Amino acid sequence: MNNVSSQADLQRILKEGETAVLQASNLKELDDVRVEYLGKKGKVTAVLKTLGQLSGEERKETGKVANEVRQKLESDIASKHEELTRAEVAERLATETIDITLPGREPVYGHRHLISQAIKQITDIFIGLGYKVAEGPEIELDYYNFKALNTPADHPARTLQDTFYIKKHSVQPADDDIVLRTHTSPVQIRVMKSQQPPVYIIAPGRAFRRDVADPSHTPMFHQIEGLAVDKHITFGDLKGTLEEFTRQMFGKDRKIRLRPHFFPFTEPSAEVDVSCGICSGMGCRLCGSGWLEVLGAGMVDPNVLIEVGYNPEEVSGFAFGMGVERIVSLMYGIPDIRMFYENDMRFVKQF
Amino acid sequence: MLVPINWLKDYIDVDVSPDELAELLNLTGTAVESIKTLGEGLDNVRVGLLLDVKPHPDADKLSVTTVSIGQPETLQIVCGAKNIKPGDKVPVALIGAHLPNGLVIKPAKLRGVTSYGMLASRAELGMGADHSGIYILPEDVEAGKPLAEALGLDDTVLELEITPNRPDCLSMIGMAREVGAITQRTMHKPEVTVTESTEKASDVAGVEILDPDLCPRYSARIIRNVKVGPSPTWMQERLQKAGMRPINNIVDITNYVMLETGQPLHAFDFNTLHGHKIIVRRAKNSEHMQTLDGVVRELDDTMLVIADADRPVALAGVMGGENTEVSDGTKDILLESAYFEPTSIMRTSRSLGLLSESSSRFEKGIDPNGTVYAADRAARFMEELADGIVNKGVVDVYPRVILPKRLPLRTDRVNAILGTKLGVDEISRICRRLEFTPEVIDRTTEMWVSVPTFRPDLEREIDLIEEVARIYGYNNIRSSLPESGDKQGGLSLRQKIAESIKLRLVAAGLSEVITYSFTDPHDVDKLQVPEGDPMRWFVRLMNPLSEEVSVMRTTLIGNLLKVLKYNVNREQYDVQIYEVGHIFWHEQGKELPDEETMVSIAMTGARIPDEWYEKARSVDFFDLKGVIEAVLDEVDAEGWSVRQFTHPVLHPGRSAELLIGDESIGFFGEIHPEVQAAYDVPRAYVAELNLNKLIDKANTVKGFTEIPKYPGISLDLAILVDGSISNDRVLDVIKSAGGSLLKQVRLFDLYTGKGVPEGKKSMAYSMLFSAPDRTLTDQEALDAQERIIRKLEKELGAQVRA
Repeated sequence: MNNVSSQADLQRILKEGETAVLQASNLKELDDVRVEYLGKKGKVTAVLKTLGQLSGEERKETGKVANEVRQKLESDIASKHEELTRAEVAERLATETIDITLPGREPVYGHRHLISQAIKQITDIFIGLGYKVAEGPEIELDYYNFKALNTPADHPARTLQDTFYIKKHSVQPADDDIVLRTHTSPVQIRVMKSQQPPVYIIAPGRAFRRDVADPSHTPMFHQIEGLAVDKHITFGDLKGTLEEFTRQMFGKDRKIRLRPHFFPFTEPSAEVDVSCGICSGMGCRLCGSGWLEVLGAGMVDPNVLIEVGYNPEEVSGFAFGMGVERIVSLMYGIPDIRMFYENDMRFVKQF
Repeated sequence: MLVPINWLKDYIDVDVSPDELAELLNLTGTAVESIKTLGEGLDNVRVGLLLDVKPHPDADKLSVTTVSIGQPETLQIVCGAKNIKPGDKVPVALIGAHLPNGLVIKPAKLRGVTSYGMLASRAELGMGADHSGIYILPEDVEAGKPLAEALGLDDTVLELEITPNRPDCLSMIGMAREVGAITQRTMHKPEVTVTESTEKASDVAGVEILDPDLCPRYSARIIRNVKVGPSPTWMQERLQKAGMRPINNIVDITNYVMLETGQPLHAFDFNTLHGHKIIVRRAKNSEHMQTLDGVVRELDDTMLVIADADRPVALAGVMGGENTEVSDGTKDILLESAYFEPTSIMRTSRSLGLLSESSSRFEKGIDPNGTVYAADRAARFMEELADGIVNKGVVDVYPRVILPKRLPLRTDRVNAILGTKLGVDEISRICRRLEFTPEVIDRTTEMWVSVPTFRPDLEREIDLIEEVARIYGYNNIRSSLPESGDKQGGLSLRQKIAESIKLRLVAAGLSEVITYSFTDPHDVDKLQVPEGDPMRWFVRLMNPLSEEVSVMRTTLIGNLLKVLKYNVNREQYDVQIYEVGHIFWHEQGKELPDEETMVSIAMTGARIPDEWYEKARSVDFFDLKGVIEAVLDEVDAEGWSVRQFTHPVLHPGRSAELLIGDESIGFFGEIHPEVQAAYDVPRAYVAELNLNKLIDKANTVKGFTEIPKYPGISLDLAILVDGSISNDRVLDVIKSAGGSLLKQVRLFDLYTGKGVPEGKKSMAYSMLFSAPDRTLTDQEALDAQERIIRKLEKELGAQVRA
C-alpha cells in the first residue's frame, strides 16, 4: 500500500464513518459504529496499523491525516451520543408516566387501644412532673384495698353487692378477705409500706366493680391513681398539680374547680371538674353546667399515713384517682363505654 | 334528698336564685343533682268550683259542666270524666293554657256543645301519673286562684346528694344551717310551745331500755284523743314535694317533722301497746313480727326491737309493726323519738333488706340531743292538726348524756395542710358559722373547738380542717406545686422494655385489644384444655355477675378468639391483635392467687389485603413467627429457639414452643381445628408469651460489631434433602462447616413439586463469606462452600442441585 492510497482510503473511511454516525438511531448502533471505525479492529485503526510500513515522511503525513480522521469521527460520535442520550431520556420520560392518584403501598401498622393511649398520655404528663409508675396485683387483700385505706367496716363497697370477692369469711370484713381491687389505690399502700417518703407515684391499671354493663358502666375499668407524700405537701399543691395536668391533658385554656366531697382515704376530699371544652364553661348539651367531673382527690387521711408507718406530723400527702374510660369518653365523645371492650376493629383502628 | 326552697325559707332568708343557691351548694360539698321548677305550664290553670254537672244532650259519655272561677260569669265546659259532682273543686285549664303535657287549650265544639276550657287530671298537669279522672282538689283551696299558687306549686325543688358523712344535712333545718354557713346568715329553728294537760305521760306509760348500747336515748310523748284524718293541704303538698306520700295527719306529722328536723319519729296506737309499756331490747332468735309493709320477718339477737310488755311492736329505727299501727280509729298516741346506735341499725336494715327514710338517717347518725325538740314539734302539730291533747312531760330515758366533742385545732396545722395563711380570727369565724364553739387558747397557734352533737362526722383535727377548707372555699386556696426539687420521674427499665414490646407489636401490624380479666369457665373446654392442666386452676369469683364472667382467666387466648369472632361476625375478616394482661391461677398455701402478665396474639384473615399491585395473602404460621421474631429482636434476646410443642389448643403439626436458652417463654401456632370449630372462627394463629420472662431475657447493653472493611463473596447453594429435614438442621450443618469465614446464611427458596423427587424438597441458601483483615479470594470462598457441601451430603444426605 502506498501513501496516496492510504490517504484516499482514510478520506473514504471518513465519509462512510460520518454517514454511519449520522444514521445511528440509538446508542447501541452508535457504539457499533464507534467499534467499526475506532475500535481495536476498526477501520481507522487498521489504517493506523499500516503506518509502520511507510517511510518517515509518508508515515508522518498519513499519520496526521489518520489522526484528523479519528478526531473528526470521535467528535461526531460524541455529539451524536449526546443527541441520542437526550432523545432517550426524553423518550423514557415520555413513556414512564404513572397515575399518581393510585393508592400507596401501605406499611402494615397496628393501633394501640385507645385506653392504653390515654394511660400513656396521662402517665407521661406525671412522669414529666417527677412521678414514677407503680403497679400491683389485680386480686387484692381486703387489707390493701379497703382497711388500710381507712374504709369503714360497714362501707357499702365492702359488700357482695358492690365488690367482687374471691374469698369472704363473713359479713364482717377480714384483712385476708380477697377481692378484685375496686381501685388502684391499694398500690399506694404497697408502695408506702415498702419505702420511706418522698413518694411520687402514679398507678394505672384495671379495677373492678360489681356493676352490670350499661353505657356508662362496665364491671372492669381502668383507673389512674396518683400519690405524692413528702414534707410540706399542701392542698394548694394538689390544686396546682391537677391544674398542670389539666392544661397538658385537655388544653391550656381549660380550668378546674374543686368541690368538697367525701372519700374515706382522703381529708379534705374533693371532686374535680374540668371546664367544658365545647362551651368553655357556659353550659351546653354535653356538660349541662359548664363543668365535667373528671376525678376525685384529696389530702391523704392521717389514718392512712399512720397505717403505713409514716408520721402525719412530719409528712403529708395528696392522692387523686381518675377513671380512664370516663376521661376518654369525654375527650372523644364516645357514647357507650362498652365499646372499649367490644374491640371492634372499626373502633380500635380509628385511634 | 329533695329540698323545696320555699320550705327552706321557713328557717333562713334565701335571697339568691335557685341556680345561684345550687352553685353555692355544689362548691361547698352538697352536690345538686337536679333543679326542678314546679308549676311550669300551669299559667292559665285556675281552681274551679263545679256549680252544675248535666249529661250531654247528644253523647252518653260526656257531661256538660258549669264552673265558677271566682268571677261573676261562669264557664261552660264539656267533660268526659265521671268522678265529678257539683261542689267539687277542680283544676280548670282556661283558653290559652299550654299544659305540661303539650296540650294547648282552645274553644272547642263537642257534639254541638261549645266547651270553653278543660277540667284536668293530675297527669295532664304534670303532677303524677294519675289520669283516671279529674283531679279533685282539697276543699280548703280558694276558687279562682291560680292552681300553682293555691297548691303552693310556685316553688323550686333541689335534689341533693348528701354524702354519707353528713347526716345532719338530711333535714330542712340541717340544710338551712348549711345554707346559713355558706351565705353567712343565721338559721332560725321554729320555737315550739306545747300546751300540756295535767295528766303526766310518765304516769300512764313506761319506757325501759334493756340494751342502752344500742339505744342510748328514748324519748316518748303521749297525745290523747286525736282525730285521725287527712292532714292539711300545705302539709301534704310539702311532703309530696319532698318525695313522701301523705297518709293521714298522724303519720304525715311524724314524716313532716322527720323531714324538718332529721329526727325519725314513730307513732304507736297507744292503746294497742300491751301494758302501756315500751321495752327496748335485742330481739330473741327466731322471734317473728309483721312490719308495716305486711311482711312477717324473722328476727335474731343482733337486731334491736321496740317491744311492749309481751311482743315486739317495731323494728327499732327501721320500721313499725302492724300490731300497733295508727288506724282511723286510733285515739291515743305514743310518739317515739329515739336515738339508736348507727351500726346496729345499718346491720338490721341490710340483713333484712329493708331500707326506710328512718333507717337511712339512723344508720348515718342523728343528733342524740334533738329527740325532745322533735317530739315537742310533732306533739304541737298533733294538737293543732289532729285535735290532740298532749300529756304533761316527756318520758325521756337517757342514761348517759352524750356531750359535744371538744377537738384541738392548731392554726399552723390548718395552714400546713391547706397551704393557706389563715389566722385565728378567720378560723374562729368559720367555726362559728358552722355553729361550732371555738375557744382560743393561744392567740397565734392553738384553739379548742366544741362540736355540736348533730355533727357525728367530726372526730379529729383533720375533720375540722376540712370544714375550714370547705367554708373558706376550695377554690380560694392558692395553687402551688410540691417544693421538693429532687424527685425524678420515669419508667423503670422493665416498664420501658414492656412498652417497647407493645410498640414493636403495633409496628408489626397488630392492634391492641383489651378484654375482661374474668371469663367463662367453659372457655377451657372449648380450648380443649385437659383435666388437671394449670389452665384449669381457676380463681373463682364468689359473686360473679353471671356464669360467663365467673372465673379469672388462666389464658388470654379464649378472649382473643372471641374478639376474632366478634369482628368476623361484623364483616371484619382481617383481624390481627394482641393483648397484654394478667392471667391468674390458684395455688395452695399462698395468701393471694398468682398473677402473671402475658402478651398474647391472635391473627386471622389476610395479612396483606387484595391490592391493585399485589394479590391478597392469608395469614400463616410464618407471619405469626415473624411477629414473634420481631419481638425477640426488640428485646435482643440471645440464644432463642423453637421446638415441637404439643398442646391441645394447637394444631399438632403447626405449633411451637419458644425457648430462650433453656427457658420456655411461651407457645405459638395455628389453632386446632376443633378449637376453631368450638369458637366458630376462621383459621387462626395464636401465641401466648410470658412478658416477664421476655423482659428477664432482654439484652439491654448492646455491643458494637465492626462493619466489614473488605468486600465479601456471595455464593448461592441449592440442595435436595428429605422432606423431614428441618431448616434448623440444615443451617446448623452449614454454619458448623462454613467456619469463621461464613458471615451470613439465609434461606431464599424452598420448593417441592415438579422436578423434585417425591418426598424430597429443594432448599436454596445464599451465603456470604468474608474475612475481617483482607479481601477474600474466590478460591477461599469456593473451598468453604465445598466443605459445606461435603458435610451436607455426609450428614443429611443432601444432593447439590445444578
